[in-house]
Amino acid sequence: MVLMNPTESAAVVDAPRAEQPLPVKKVGKLSPRLAFIKPSFWLPVVVLLVALGFLWNFVAKNNPYLLPPLSDVWGALAHNPSYYVSNAWSTLQVALIGLAIGFVAAYLIAILVSELPLAKRAIMPLAVVLNVTPLVAIAPALVIAFGFGPQPKLIVTALICFFPILINVSTGLRSVPSQVLQVFTTLHASRLEMLFHVRMPTALPYLFTALRIVFPLSIIGAVVAELSAPGAAEGLGTTISIAFSNSQLAVVYAAIFCLAVLGSALLAIITAIERRALHWHESMLDNKS
Amino acid sequence: MTGDSAAGSTPNSISIQSAVKIYGSGADQHVALNGVDVTIERGQFVSIIGPSGCGKSTLLRMIAGLEEPDAGDVSVFGVTPERACVAKMIGLVPQTPALLPWLNVLKNVSMPAKINSAADRRRQRIDGHLQKAKPDMRDLLTKAGLGDAFNKLPAQLSGGMQQRTAIVRAFGVQPDVLLMDEPFSALDEFTREAIQGQLLDIWDEQNTTVVFVTHSVSEAVRLSDKVLVMSARPGRITAEVDITLPRPRSEAMLKTADFHHFEDIIRDHLQTSWQQNALPSVA
Repeated sequence: MVLMNPTESAAVVDAPRAEQPLPVKKVGKLSPRLAFIKPSFWLPVVVLLVALGFLWNFVAKNNPYLLPPLSDVWGALAHNPSYYVSNAWSTLQVALIGLAIGFVAAYLIAILVSELPLAKRAIMPLAVVLNVTPLVAIAPALVIAFGFGPQPKLIVTALICFFPILINVSTGLRSVPSQVLQVFTTLHASRLEMLFHVRMPTALPYLFTALRIVFPLSIIGAVVAELSAPGAAEGLGTTISIAFSNSQLAVVYAAIFCLAVLGSALLAIITAIERRALHWHESMLDNKS
Repeated sequence: MTGDSAAGSTPNSISIQSAVKIYGSGADQHVALNGVDVTIERGQFVSIIGPSGCGKSTLLRMIAGLEEPDAGDVSVFGVTPERACVAKMIGLVPQTPALLPWLNVLKNVSMPAKINSAADRRRQRIDGHLQKAKPDMRDLLTKAGLGDAFNKLPAQLSGGMQQRTAIVRAFGVQPDVLLMDEPFSALDEFTREAIQGQLLDIWDEQNTTVVFVTHSVSEAVRLSDKVLVMSARPGRITAEVDITLPRPRSEAMLKTADFHHFEDIIRDHLQTSWQQNALPSVA
């Protein structure tokens, strides 16, 4: 083999590179934000929905007592939209206020439990018992105790939201990596500094996991409470129980539809907030790349 | 230990006297350190080298006040490790960068200044403490080669950049002593040598005492004024080697005969202590 001098060999290596342009990343790839425009994104779910709609109408035509025709459900909604809106608003208020109460209580107790082992041993068994007790069973008792006002509804909603937040946040507050703890221990950080500067931000991803569970749960809590208080004046749960006693199947499904929309909207909101608040977290950086 | 100052302590050195550390009890008992004596003068760069499980990290954590000796005394420039932490005299660089992932680089390195703000006053009351001006963190980051990464999040940095951020954070409180626990062990050889150079540059300027735990012989020789060789079961110091190579020590020096000479001395000590340990199990 003939040895080439360095300039020659360099020229040989460089030549083909100069002729062939560098491979360019395919243009026309949509940013993740706009990915929903593409048919491959929305078509599967739309096809499935249309198919289910036909199946529903087929069943409804032959068994009107099993399912109401979709046109009837739509008719119920369109006939008196403000009725559904005001009832949905009432349910939403109960859900969000109950959630706020449950959140504050659970977060404060999570801090207490994670800072004091003694408090953990006292509180956690009780919290677990509360969690395994069906809230549907507690709701009537609360209605007897507090009447048909907002209190029993708020208590049921707060209780249903309480446990997931408590468990996740107390775990999150305790999940600071040991080497981070060592760095801040040698700086002699106080417990309060540790809590605010290190523990609470570390617990943030855990908190959002809990919130994504608890936001839809809060609607469930509110509806369960409304169903248990048949005399209650408003709320989608009340709408359902009144329509149920009148055998208005279309109205029941119209209210269920509103609840599904409400739950999805809450989930979308919390997901958007999470994306902002946790932009630094691995799970978010993963999606970007 | 009694009172604020430990026995045999002076404001100009870190001293560890006949320190013993035992983990577990009964049959599971494991002597991590057995009668360790160390004196580190102010301003020195001292490395501790030894096989895994020889107690080198335990020794470092003892100086940091993260572990208490079961017997013996530890004094950090005339005060107990606890009091040294209270006065923010100790900067720790652990094995992982241990940065806060939600803060950008600049906020991460500025965080120690926000913590324990009473420490500065406490520090002034300690005898022999040298009052130094707070360094400009932007300046220090730029010197560490992080000039265009102020606003980057830790997850957006390479491993080497994360570890440099951790080093700048530790230097930022102007500690009397910087404790580094195998900080470069997760980095590749090339990055490691580059960062060693940057560490030496900053150290030279800040004039801080450094205790550096490593399992790399060349790293120990390049960085240190003195290398302490440790051996395991039980953990003890088997040799002290003064590295008399001139400073500054560039990457080119790694190839010189003088450098290899010191590497050989340390390797010999490590092998001797290794063989001494191996003998009983062979017999």
